[in-house]
Amino acid sequence: MKFGKRKLWKGILLEFAFIILCLLTLLPIIYALSVSLNASNSLFTSGLRLFPDKLTLENYYTILLEKPFLIWMRNSIVLSLLTVFLTLFVTVPAAYAFSRFRFRGQKATMSFLLLLNAFPTILSLFAIYRIIKILGLLNKKAALVLIYTGTMAIFTFWTMKGYFDSIPNDMEEAAKIDGATNLQLISKIILPLALPSVLVAGVLVFINAWNEYIFATIFITGTEKYTLALGLYSLQATDYTRNWPLFSAASILTSLPTLIVFFLVQRHMVAGLTAGGVKG
Amino acid sequence: MDRRKGYTHWIYLVPFLIFIIMTVLIPLIYTFYVSFTNMSVYHWTNYKFIGLKNYYKALLTVDSGFLSALFRTLLWTALNIILLVFFAFVIALGLNSPELRFKNIYKTLLIFPWAMPAYVTILLWRMGMFNTEFGFLNQLIRKAGWQPINFLSTDVYAFLSCMIINLWLGIPYMFTMIDAAMQSIDRGIYENAYMEGAGFWRVHVFITAPMIAPILTPILIMTAFTNFKQFDIVYLMTMQTGSKTGANIHTLITYVYDKAFVTSNYGYSAAVTGIISLIIIILYMGMQKIARSKVN
Repeated sequence: MKFGKRKLWKGILLEFAFIILCLLTLLPIIYALSVSLNASNSLFTSGLRLFPDKLTLENYYTILLEKPFLIWMRNSIVLSLLTVFLTLFVTVPAAYAFSRFRFRGQKATMSFLLLLNAFPTILSLFAIYRIIKILGLLNKKAALVLIYTGTMAIFTFWTMKGYFDSIPNDMEEAAKIDGATNLQLISKIILPLALPSVLVAGVLVFINAWNEYIFATIFITGTEKYTLALGLYSLQATDYTRNWPLFSAASILTSLPTLIVFFLVQRHMVAGLTAGGVKG
Repeated sequence: MDRRKGYTHWIYLVPFLIFIIMTVLIPLIYTFYVSFTNMSVYHWTNYKFIGLKNYYKALLTVDSGFLSALFRTLLWTALNIILLVFFAFVIALGLNSPELRFKNIYKTLLIFPWAMPAYVTILLWRMGMFNTEFGFLNQLIRKAGWQPINFLSTDVYAFLSCMIINLWLGIPYMFTMIDAAMQSIDRGIYENAYMEGAGFWRVHVFITAPMIAPILTPILIMTAFTNFKQFDIVYLMTMQTGSKTGANIHTLITYVYDKAFVTSNYGYSAAVTGIISLIIIILYMGMQKIARSKVN
């Protein structure tokens, strides 16, 4: 019986350790949430308290109604969606071709693409800036859409190719024997099969575009053109420095969409990422 | 698979390849070209070729800051990888122990730093935790009766603060991967080992770790690159335009950014990019070799 008791204690200890760990992990987020909801806002006087005794949504109202938050959000949505469409439009057919066809130079192209992907885009930021300027796209959404698609294209291509590889070829062969055309093949068989993975890839691209700020700081000027990420960045760099409750409210509002999306696709994502890892 | 004759596959490929050439390859080539010139704000259009001067300046001048940034980046990468794997391994072990009841709740809560937008959480850490006046840590320190610490103004403190944030951001991904790898181990092995009298840590260091290592190699390589390319944390914490904190903890990438967009020395910045590219190519080939030998 002594053994059982020891096991019980071990369990309780472990449970306790994990609760502490969760609290430590969530501390910055809980603290921000509590500051944003605190009605008395006496950060300096009342000292340390994780849970405010009086709650208010005032900070959130201020953000949503007085600041151009909603305009930024609209900009972010438009920009991110355009990036997702362009990325999928260029990468999905290419990933399909790399998965289903064999052609000369395929292996070399693939390792070259991987190598290119190892370079952080930010290193060629200056060159991109000059090119965008020559193209006359400064301060236009199109510039950011092109750049974001460029940063995500190889990664998306790579994951999509992995998904296509995992779909067996049999059905396509059968359809081909039945005389299906290429277009029918794609629209009737391949896309329905690949749709869940296309969605996951799309979500990753969306989150990436949604969260990007450094390119936006270089290419976008004028508050009404800001994305949410750039807006938040600019706020903390200027008047929000002294207004930490407002900033935390804005942070939490900005994070909500990504949090929701992340937890919606998390299961698929972990499975997909580990599958890629196992294959090497 | 099918070796179809004809050119159908090119219809699928060409848009992608053209796009990559335009948005990724041409900027890189152009950067390489700029690295041999003296292009800067003063020489925006009337720049001229100066050969390898920029490269010499980066590599041979001690106070150029490049070599210390390189050293710092390597130190940063090594320390972070070791600590990331260590903490993630311990957490994953805990999550896999049969005594734990509320696994899924913990998993969901612990994954939050990964789910939040990184730039938001970095700013939350900066304002909420490390801030000298109202930051949580300094409120604690003040409660204890000590002098508040200006975490971001001295190199060592700033480096450590950035590292804490990096670990906080990176551990969720790492433990999820290690946890997934552990699920693939056959439990029977453990029973045998315990029967033969091996202790808990012995079992996991000598059985679990070697068994999950091949699965994790690609993930470790990727994480090493991510850490090597660190930009956001260092930039947002210490070198934002207009609110520099005084600490100089440049990584290679923030160094390039600083040279291009703060001091506007484009030619020099491009040369540093060229050197970093060479380092990345060498690392990449080395890593590929390791990955391949592990698989075989």
